[in-house]
Amino acid sequence: MALLEVNNLKTHFFTREGVVRAVDGISFEVESGKTLGIVGESGCGKSVTALSIMGLIPKPPAKIVDGSVLFDGRDLTKLPEKQLEDVRGREIAMIFQDPMTSLNPTLTIGTQITETIRRHYDVPKRQARKKAVELLEEVQIPRAADRLDDYPHRFSGGMRQRVMIAIALSCDPKLLIADEPTTALDVTVQAAVLDLLDDLRQAHEMAMILITHDMGVVAESADDIAVMYGGQIVEQASVNDLFDRPEHPYTEALLGALPQIEGEGIRAGRLTAIPGRPPDLKNPPPACRFAPRCKYANANDTCTTVMPELREIHKDHWVRTAHPACERAGAQVPVQA
Amino acid sequence: MVVNPREAPTPTIAGDVAPLAQGTAGAPLRQSNLWRDAWGRYVRNRAAVAAGAAFVLLLLFCVIWPFVSPYDGNKLDFSLKNEGPSLSHPFGTDNFGRDMMTRTAEGGRVSIGIGFAATIAILLAGVAYGAISGFVGGRLDNAMMRVLDTLYGLPYLPFAIIILAIFGDANFWTMVVALSVVSWFTTARIVRGQIITLKENDYVRAARAVGARWYRILGRHLLPNTLGVLIIAIFLELPGVILGEAFLSFIGLGIGAPDASWGQMANDGRTAYRTSPHIIAVPSIAIATLILSANFIADGLRDALDPRTRET
Repeated sequence: MALLEVNNLKTHFFTREGVVRAVDGISFEVESGKTLGIVGESGCGKSVTALSIMGLIPKPPAKIVDGSVLFDGRDLTKLPEKQLEDVRGREIAMIFQDPMTSLNPTLTIGTQITETIRRHYDVPKRQARKKAVELLEEVQIPRAADRLDDYPHRFSGGMRQRVMIAIALSCDPKLLIADEPTTALDVTVQAAVLDLLDDLRQAHEMAMILITHDMGVVAESADDIAVMYGGQIVEQASVNDLFDRPEHPYTEALLGALPQIEGEGIRAGRLTAIPGRPPDLKNPPPACRFAPRCKYANANDTCTTVMPELREIHKDHWVRTAHPACERAGAQVPVQA
Repeated sequence: MVVNPREAPTPTIAGDVAPLAQGTAGAPLRQSNLWRDAWGRYVRNRAAVAAGAAFVLLLLFCVIWPFVSPYDGNKLDFSLKNEGPSLSHPFGTDNFGRDMMTRTAEGGRVSIGIGFAATIAILLAGVAYGAISGFVGGRLDNAMMRVLDTLYGLPYLPFAIIILAIFGDANFWTMVVALSVVSWFTTARIVRGQIITLKENDYVRAARAVGARWYRILGRHLLPNTLGVLIIAIFLELPGVILGEAFLSFIGLGIGAPDASWGQMANDGRTAYRTSPHIIAVPSIAIATLILSANFIADGLRDALDPRTRET
């Protein structure tokens, strides 16, 4: 059985203006030791998915209305808050997007690491400090023992993210959820932090969910990728499969928007942008969420009135569209292809 | 150090900046922390420093003088009635021939003691109410704030008078209760506002993500961050409470004779204000000094504890 099984998870926000279906029936599995990449643009429900797994969604207004999150055989959505608190940090840890604000500015980083350790393990302070130094060394912070009593403002963004990683690793979790861990960092630091994350994941034999809007980031470190759009998973496959034969028009468009600097078929032209805006998740119509922006969909198509089902188009390659690439070939070859 | 281009730094400032920048680039730089920085900013504010000095001197005078003084503040001496300031009695004597200087110090102990005790009571009540309201949020917060809105309508002094009347006897603790029971609303609101802003911080979410329990989050991540505001609140509440105490004593509802308090001393001087103005002037000046210095201290602290007021 997979370490984490998310089944038909629906997290809705009940706002004054209506119900926002931020996460609308997504399912995926994460095997232990594997990395799942969740990709999608802003507002597609990536972060809400992560927070739903952790039970950290702001309620009210948000509520998990359906589905289950099976972690190690327990349904986290039904676990009482007290037990969920013991799972958080101990079994599932999370790294957030902005390392500049994720550390409490009034506490030393040593305090913040040891508190996490002592929250879950009954160890004396000195031992927790020793462990904290080891962790800081593991995330490659120089002079770790000296830096323990420094306040967060004395660390750079990349260093702080390393501290956050150290905190996340402090209790040897089985699953690490990294929510855009490198978005707030600059490119050179990004690469270093991603490498570090991947090394640590292997060393600690953790599973990881890597949430990002950057195709390049998941290409390097993920085993499987789920592409999210409008609160749903629109395509899911192994990394190679997805990059080699993207089936969903949205995935194709995302890859088309990615600059390439090497390899065959270097595009000479401009990068393609996706026209239109992401859908409003308040009372969405019962149609393919991507239809208004899809260059293959036209007004007579059923996909503008009926939601396409997620189907397995190749082995282990799932897609939710009426116009997958492999079915397009024959009659209706689009002009722009 | 941020240099605003519009402020066009003069050459001397630029010259000052250079060695400083070099100094910070060098190896062991002293740990800067919030309180040290705040202290640095506070001492640059001359009015606040002067106010702080006046405040401390006044406190020391009240605490120490009764031990040192050759006179007993309650000892009557009708041969020395209504004497103006002299060498042996620097503040003069009152209508019972008591030494005003000793009496001012003794009265100050009572006034300031009641002031601080009531301020602490206000803070405790305000922090507890505000923290719960802001932290829990939602409906409870709404209900608690509406209750507060209603209580806000209660007039401060009449309510204090009623409470004293209910107790029937004005001593130190009944005065503290009377002065604090309707004064904690503003503090509660300030704390609630702070908690609400603070709990949206990423580090609070991060703390929850590692399994921190609610009391840990409140006690470790939220309340310590309101400390700056609370320290300011102390010096903002103190003048109001001391003035309230003085007023109640002045109209005869305060601590009973022969024990002194500043308001009561002012009341003693009320009848003879034409012939012996020093009897009402001395306690009035003491009250004014205390309130004014507390206000300036609050002002200086507010600037000092706001990290955005960086010196350029």
